[in-house]
Amino acid sequence: MKNIIIGQYLPGTSFLYKMDPRSKIIALMILMISTFILKDVTHILIMLGVVLLILKIGGIPIVRIARGLKPIMILLLFTFTFQIIFIKTGNLIFDTELTLTVFTLPLMIFIILFWYLTRRYIKFKFLYLLITAFGILTMLSLYTPGSVLSSSTLEVYGDGLSGAFFIMVRLIIIVTLSTILTLTTKPTDLNLGLEKILKPLSIIRINAEEIAMIISIALRYIPTLLDEANKIMLAQASRGVDFTEGKFKDKVMQIISLLVPMFIISFKRSDDLANAMEARSFVPGKRRTRLHTLSWHNLDTTVIVFCIFIFISAITVRVMF
Amino acid sequence: MNIIEIKDLSFSYQDEVDALSNVTLSVKKGEWVSVLGHNGSGKSTLSKLIIGLLKADSGEIKVDGVILNEESVHDIRRKIGIVFQNPDNQFVGVTVEDDIAFGMENLCFEQSDIVDKIKEYAEKVSMSEYLKKEPHALSGGQKQRVAIAGILAMKTDIIIFDEATSMLDPKGRESIMNYIKEINKAGVTVITITHDMKEAVLSDRIIILKEGRVIACGDTNDILNDKETLNSSNLELLLPLKLQYLLDEANLSNDKVKDILWQLSLNK
Repeated sequence: MKNIIIGQYLPGTSFLYKMDPRSKIIALMILMISTFILKDVTHILIMLGVVLLILKIGGIPIVRIARGLKPIMILLLFTFTFQIIFIKTGNLIFDTELTLTVFTLPLMIFIILFWYLTRRYIKFKFLYLLITAFGILTMLSLYTPGSVLSSSTLEVYGDGLSGAFFIMVRLIIIVTLSTILTLTTKPTDLNLGLEKILKPLSIIRINAEEIAMIISIALRYIPTLLDEANKIMLAQASRGVDFTEGKFKDKVMQIISLLVPMFIISFKRSDDLANAMEARSFVPGKRRTRLHTLSWHNLDTTVIVFCIFIFISAITVRVMF
Repeated sequence: MNIIEIKDLSFSYQDEVDALSNVTLSVKKGEWVSVLGHNGSGKSTLSKLIIGLLKADSGEIKVDGVILNEESVHDIRRKIGIVFQNPDNQFVGVTVEDDIAFGMENLCFEQSDIVDKIKEYAEKVSMSEYLKKEPHALSGGQKQRVAIAGILAMKTDIIIFDEATSMLDPKGRESIMNYIKEINKAGVTVITITHDMKEAVLSDRIIILKEGRVIACGDTNDILNDKETLNSSNLELLLPLKLQYLLDEANLSNDKVKDILWQLSLNK
């Protein structure tokens, strides 16, 4: 456990790395808002082009972005399906009768069961899910022997298709933008940037410095605690606890046997840490100087101006068309 | 001149027996004092009381002529640095340089000053190559050295080592002890809190605690000659010391000496 990397920072030298974390966060927010302002497929595609251009100039490999998109695949699929099924305006592109008969019902259950049992052995799980779903739909529309149990029509309209596409692109842009931020900024810099941006919140008695301190300590202790968890798991395993197999109920019990000592250790640690911090003259809320400071360069101003230009264009496009 | 003066200090954790009762002691400026005691003798409690992390039930602590109370606690903490037992639990920064800087940031040093001091003191504890490293890439001894650098950079008059070497391997322990010697030579008052007599004999003066009471206090040589007190303190005695006591008791015939040496080497 010696080489845990928190976050997904990807070392590099492009302009994205030279930027101040503050300007990156602000730019991210402006671009995100601009994306939400757009309402037309062509415009959102132009926006996607801009994002791809940033990736290209910033020297970030598309593969890393794709990895960032992975967790939202299910969400993408869900919104896509939802849009296609429920939007019934525009011209009809495609329709088919889906028929459930006494033969196809058990067959469908069988396929789903087969998918459920075999999916853990398949490498491309998402693709496998898509193929299975498509297979079931094809079967229901083409194969109709025996007495009919129920039937319905699946209609795909132009607006549904474009709407689904639109929302998908929008989600991809949002996730890509935030992935760019986390790929090019170290967690500590990100934390410092957030602290400075949130500083005005002190008016409503939110102390950004304290929040940043908490985050930085959390970041610092994640590897230590993971190490600890690993040790406890080894200790439990040496006494016969098996963390990999067993029923759900057993697994829950095993997790509890891990969590209880982890909680106790964390409290002990935080107590010691609080003492160590106080002993080194830390007083919560008191002014401190900082080793790391941020500096705003011309590059940051240029990028922000560029983002504001995109923002204004987005508003203009929205109003004009 | 006494830099720390403690008078009739008593403390107990919630409804337990007294962790400390009527402790009176003093530490001179520039000296190295060991507080020696068994587990549960109250020695760590004493260090926490001195730095104001715990509040005494009764008694008085004076640091550099100032009585410790709620108003003066922050000023007193500027004068005392403390290195704790667990190297992991006192590492505040995300990297080595952040951790060395932490104390200075709290004391509002100028940024450029902090940068210079980090270099200077990392050099002093031979951690210059590790400035950008994260704590989980360091050994226990290295983490303790970082903690020492952080405190040295704060320029405190007194440094307390609260069992700072007890979780380290022999090599790490030796290097930390060498740094303590150096620090003391440079004029800083050092208090080492330990259960290990081997460490305590290096200091100028030893204070022995047992069940929250001071049972002995004096120059290291005097304490080492005080056989009865040492025997009653439940401490693990050093081998040469044991030997000396046994030889004192015995009639010094050659056979007898051999016999004693033999028994000691068997650890009986």
